[in-house]
Amino acid sequence: MEAFFQTYGFLLVYMCLQALLGLSTYLPLMAGQLSLASSGFYAIGGYVAAILSTQVFHTSGAYPIGYLLLETLLAGLLSGVVAVVVGIPALRLRGIYLALATIAMVEILRVVSLNLSITGGAVGIFGIAQPFSSPLGYMWLVGPLLLLVMFFAYRLEGSRIGRAFIALREDELAADAMGINPTYHKVLAFALGAMLAGVVGAISAHFLNTWNARQGTFDVSIAVLAYVLIGGSRSFAGPVLGGMVLTALPEVLRPLKDLRFIVDGLLLMLAAIYLPQGLANPNWLARRKTAPVREKT
Amino acid sequence: MSLLEVSHMSRRFGGLVAVNDVSLSVQEGEIFGLIGPNGAGKTTLFNLITGLTSPSSGNLHYQGQDITRLPPFRIAALGLARTFQNIRLFGNLSALENIRIAHHIHTKTGVWAGVLGLPAARAEQVGVERQAWALLERVGLQGRAFERAKNLSYGDQRRLEIARALALRPKVLLLDEPAAGMNSAEKATLSGFIRQVRGEFGLTIILIEHHVPLVMGLCDRIAVLNFGQMIALGSPQKVANDPAVIEAYLGVET
Repeated sequence: MEAFFQTYGFLLVYMCLQALLGLSTYLPLMAGQLSLASSGFYAIGGYVAAILSTQVFHTSGAYPIGYLLLETLLAGLLSGVVAVVVGIPALRLRGIYLALATIAMVEILRVVSLNLSITGGAVGIFGIAQPFSSPLGYMWLVGPLLLLVMFFAYRLEGSRIGRAFIALREDELAADAMGINPTYHKVLAFALGAMLAGVVGAISAHFLNTWNARQGTFDVSIAVLAYVLIGGSRSFAGPVLGGMVLTALPEVLRPLKDLRFIVDGLLLMLAAIYLPQGLANPNWLARRKTAPVREKT
Repeated sequence: MSLLEVSHMSRRFGGLVAVNDVSLSVQEGEIFGLIGPNGAGKTTLFNLITGLTSPSSGNLHYQGQDITRLPPFRIAALGLARTFQNIRLFGNLSALENIRIAHHIHTKTGVWAGVLGLPAARAEQVGVERQAWALLERVGLQGRAFERAKNLSYGDQRRLEIARALALRPKVLLLDEPAAGMNSAEKATLSGFIRQVRGEFGLTIILIEHHVPLVMGLCDRIAVLNFGQMIALGSPQKVANDPAVIEAYLGVET
């Protein structure tokens, strides 16, 4: 057992981090907004933590958890502010056009970070201080965070604001006519997702020990979108399941050596074809409850 | 003073003038009918009143307040609720959830209060639940509360949409072809229902309807649109005998 955690500690924490990123894309999607900006805010969060821990907070020995929490707070706030500024104009776009605009934002952030000296240019920032002695130690931080965010998403779905989000997703025009302010709620959903992505970025910077322009790229956006689509976009369980499964899959398939990437891709395609609603489909539960019982002959 | 005042409203879509210089005023408590052949501009006028379409020119006053350029959600919050010709329920959600959503403007729980389930949020939730069930019962759908809206029968969807609009506690209810697709028995029931609802909720009702006997029997006043222009306005008897209306509906004898 201990050997298992020794070997897979990194993977387990990484699975939780990716599940959280999935949730950060799920939040705007709850309000019907297809945003690929999560990786951009993830990058912003990572740089906040990397810069603060290497240049502002000077410590020796294990990095204090308090500083780390302060970093996540600042990363979340900054991401939220950027989200509101970007979101107000961008969220006038719908569907695929919003997706394109958010990809553009991610690209701009990437190019900016590649060229600024404070972000370390192409080399990035390395040697980010470690608060825990092993990768698995991060689970003390990431595990509770994942549970908290899952609880948040679950409760949000049944609350007044969550209902407004879902109404906008179902029919924006009808929601508008029912007194729901579309712009306010769309920006709110976008900012909540951004704050979460920023927090995840801050933790990831420490966890990965290094942060550079390759962290927040278009590839990451697509991977995170896949978590939500393969996992399921109709309940908070979808992105969590999707994030974990898709992160673990390449490791699970490792015995297949080079074939694993092909198998990995095939599985994704099959999931998209045969489980279009995702792995976590809330209808399955409902259907089972209401399915007519077949009479025995 | 009239409750709703439409003055010289026009809406052009490219070369088409969907609504052309229409002026009318709706009195508090009346049932106001809007009729006209297909494409006459009735639904466009509804969209102008509820803010879904902005006018090319003209003004709209509600209780003396200029609401011409307000977005739909503000107009809804002021007390104008509507149904749609091509039913726009939240199809994947349950009947009950559809009505819960429409309580948005009368509640104020924020993100954190809702997520943490603070006492004020819970109290609000209990109130919403009670009112939503009462409305479902009022339209006879309490037995289908957990059914997805899109799986309800056509007539039930129409009734659910009215219940959802009533959840806004409006002063003015705009019904866009509420009897469409109903048989004559259902139409008679609907007519009685609209009358009762007006009394119970103290509503002013504006409705678009094609079925002439229903409109004639139900409305206090009727406006007739044809090619975007209002060609007649008055009591059902007066409108029914108006030569311009007869011409619009039946064509002129040659």
